Amino acid sequence: MQINAKRGKHPFKRFFLLFVPLAVILIFLLFPYYWTLVTSIKPSQELYSNQVIYWPVHPTLTAYGQLFGQFNFLKPMWNSFVVAMITTVLSLTVSMLAAYSFSRFRYKGRKFLMVLFLTNNMFPTVLLLIPLFTIMRQMNILYTPASLVLSYTTFTIPFSVWLLNGYLNDLPMSLEEAAMVDGANRAQAFICIILPVLIPCLLATGVYIFMQSWNEYTFAVLFTNERNRTVPVALKSLIGQFGVQWELLTAGGIITVIPVCFMFFFAQKKLVAGLTSGAVKG
Amino acid sequence: MKKILGALVALVMMLSMASFAYAQDVTITYWFWADNDAYAATMQEMIADFNATNGKGITVVGEQIPWDGGGYSNTVFTAAMGGGGPDVASWKLTATPSFVANDLLAPLDDYLKDWEGYNEIESTLWDVMRQVGGGEKVYVMPWNTQVLYVYYRPSMFAAAGLSAPTTYAEFLDACAKLTKDGVYGFGMRGAKGGQEPWGSFIYARGGNFTDLTSPQAVQGMQDFIDLFQKGYTPSTAPSDGFSQIIDNFKSGLTAMTVHHIGSYAGMVEAFGEDVGAFVFPGDVGQWTSMGDTENVMFASCANKEAAFEWLAYLATGKGQETWCKVTGNVPVAASIKALDEFQSNPFMKVSIEGAPFAGILPVLDTTTEWINSVWPNTVQQALLGEITAQECMETLQAELYK
Amino acid sequence: MEVIPKRNRRTNIWPYLLVLPALLVVVAVVFIPILNAILMSLQNYDLRRPKQIGFVGLQNYIQLFSDKQFPASLYRTVLWVVFGVGFQFVFGFALALLLNQGFRGRGLVRSVSLIPWVTPGVLIALMWRWLLDGNYGVVNDLLQRAGLTGDNIAFLASRSTALPSVILTIVWQGIPFFALMLLAGLQGISQDLYEAADIDGARSMQKLRYITIPSLKNTIFVTTMLRVIWVANSVDVIFNMTEGGPAYATQTLSIYIYLKASTLNMGYASAMAIFLTIILLAFSIPYLRSMFRDQGV
Repeated sequence: MQINAKRGKHPFKRFFLLFVPLAVILIFLLFPYYWTLVTSIKPSQELYSNQVIYWPVHPTLTAYGQLFGQFNFLKPMWNSFVVAMITTVLSLTVSMLAAYSFSRFRYKGRKFLMVLFLTNNMFPTVLLLIPLFTIMRQMNILYTPASLVLSYTTFTIPFSVWLLNGYLNDLPMSLEEAAMVDGANRAQAFICIILPVLIPCLLATGVYIFMQSWNEYTFAVLFTNERNRTVPVALKSLIGQFGVQWELLTAGGIITVIPVCFMFFFAQKKLVAGLTSGAVKG
Repeated sequence: MKKILGALVALVMMLSMASFAYAQDVTITYWFWADNDAYAATMQEMIADFNATNGKGITVVGEQIPWDGGGYSNTVFTAAMGGGGPDVASWKLTATPSFVANDLLAPLDDYLKDWEGYNEIESTLWDVMRQVGGGEKVYVMPWNTQVLYVYYRPSMFAAAGLSAPTTYAEFLDACAKLTKDGVYGFGMRGAKGGQEPWGSFIYARGGNFTDLTSPQAVQGMQDFIDLFQKGYTPSTAPSDGFSQIIDNFKSGLTAMTVHHIGSYAGMVEAFGEDVGAFVFPGDVGQWTSMGDTENVMFASCANKEAAFEWLAYLATGKGQETWCKVTGNVPVAASIKALDEFQSNPFMKVSIEGAPFAGILPVLDTTTEWINSVWPNTVQQALLGEITAQECMETLQAELYK
Repeated sequence: MEVIPKRNRRTNIWPYLLVLPALLVVVAVVFIPILNAILMSLQNYDLRRPKQIGFVGLQNYIQLFSDKQFPASLYRTVLWVVFGVGFQFVFGFALALLLNQGFRGRGLVRSVSLIPWVTPGVLIALMWRWLLDGNYGVVNDLLQRAGLTGDNIAFLASRSTALPSVILTIVWQGIPFFALMLLAGLQGISQDLYEAADIDGARSMQKLRYITIPSLKNTIFVTTMLRVIWVANSVDVIFNMTEGGPAYATQTLSIYIYLKASTLNMGYASAMAIFLTIILLAFSIPYLRSMFRDQGV
């Protein structure tokens, strides 16, 4: 309502302060993707033409047919999806608990633990690969999706804990305290008061975890085999020693993006102010 | 949450049971990279053929690993050091020293002794295999090779009133004369992998890889720099890798470029008759690079005899014929090389013509780092005019023989 | 600000129990590998010459100071992080504010804004390499159509343009991260504050400065710090675009570490990695201090 009122008052202001900058950023973000799409449907003569062609004269969908036909791209997509989903649930759960502890309690060793988590992600993973491989082998989960879930959980926990801790610290503590004064215990106060308000933040952190697991290559190539290869490995196998299969690679890139954006389209409805309603009702 | 965990546990159990089921038969895991998905499919067909025809109950399970700009060797190394990894893997010679130093590879000498295929493969090639393994044992089974030569566009040469160069001087002259109307004479590779064509310049002037700082070698380097700085190559040359030099040639941007038979099919598809090849010409010396692909057996392999059967199938058996026909690589087995299909291909002829001058970089434990980082960055510094040819060659020498 | 009830100051097992699952997973998986890396940094741990491996004390660390590549790579890391994260933050924050407004099609715009982040790193690098190509690239074509440049520019082949090119790419990739994280944080700000400001007749910029930014302080601080760490360590964009070239122009410390580790000189790579970690930690300390202080610890 407030926004509508504004729109009535300052249509020009809204145009210059909202639509123009939005358009500029979106063009920057989406043009490369458009270009990928165009590349995926260009026949190769047009790809390397001396004149840059902005829309193919003879668009072709052969790359997409090939991708789903002999290349069987749905399989790595499904593998990636399973791994990313399980990782997201696991990592988000344990990170939420830890972040709550860091944000709402003060105790000995808290700062140390927080810095410990942070340091964990400062170290380049390339130096950890051989011992990690050994650990996965000894745990008997090498070449199963569980090895990826475990490593992605490990490497997303630290950032997730910090992110959630940051969000929790930005939330005013008054709501929760009011509930506790009213006789709710801490868990009730958390579930009934904090959790609903925190949903946008959990969603954002969840997306972070999902993306990390969805796009990861180094662990994926080491800890999986043909049965459970994920998308980045499948895409990378299109880059051979003697050149890149552009049409397939770009088509794969386009396809990879669609389901994630589709999922987020529904999820983002939760990205609305949780506090207003709570505060008004209260 | 519980459901997902349950499903996960079930999945893990299923997968581990699946691997128990293999145990009765002899199973060999084979890791390979493929340069495109058609080659990957061919490899799986070859594996199926071997599994069906070997008659010894050997089942090869093929796992494709992305080439990843050479990261393939690191993937294999990490797995092998971590106590996993395959029984057999496809291979690049340059990776051999570090694997041998860590005792990861199985010597093949015991199996080669009584193998009827041994003499199918030229003895000089066996010498190379022995040399990269430290000089005593053979760890690497030859598979196929590619000899680098120069691709050129006859129509562009005709328009400039030139014919295919037969001497190094003519070649340099052609680079200059062909550069006009938006076309560059030479498609130079200044990024990783560029050391292969570059070697021909060094040897042409009489230099060699043992002493890169000799005046002859430095002169070859100077020629290389001049081609770029005088504008006879695209301005992107310092960052051009394999894909770029091929794209540039195919789009008509360059009149010549150096690569091997692996790309001839695409060239013929693009130009029909209007593409030819000649051996990189020499002057004081002559050299061209031999690309290689081999297979190795790992020390951890439990069924080495079975693994050797698969190595043999790839080196001289049906696998050799199928793979070389599909990829266009030069076979190592004499009987396959003699097949009509290989003899009648004009590009194969040039490959065979260049074979006497073909060689490899010294394969030392420093070679991988030298190829991946030292060569590209140092030569790029020289191309961009930050250091002289002399300084460039001194660095290259020092880093290779560190 | 006394926000923490007194009773929690006594030793309480709950906070520890809550941290335990996360801690267990992390420690179980990375404790041994990190310890191993620390030990490697004290040895001439070169797997190309395994028979010579032995403890050498701090030799690897001393070598850092005589290695010309090291300070140069560190300097490039600073540029890479400052400009990379800086622009990501500015545009990401702007995008978050825009996406927080009500307009038709907002859901769609929000989800397509994520695209750069969803795209696998290997593809991002190749895509941008293709966009910036010196012979067929669309960026050159657009610049020429706009009359800004004459000839094609070989962006990735010259020293002056290579680092800006890879920074541009990482900026593109990171904008959605900040946009989403800050958008989520914006939802936690009570609308009452804005309404009160409206009554006082505050302008948009004033509201941004006095309400939005202070309310998002922790979120901004945490996301920036995490992003700095992430970008400082990232390898795949640069490696797949330029491999650190031309002439070392894009070789950041993380690329240098990656190259040393992938050519098996693990000892030296570990020493550099530990050095990088210490630098990142040192950079974080002032932030951590002020954050811990704000929380009344």
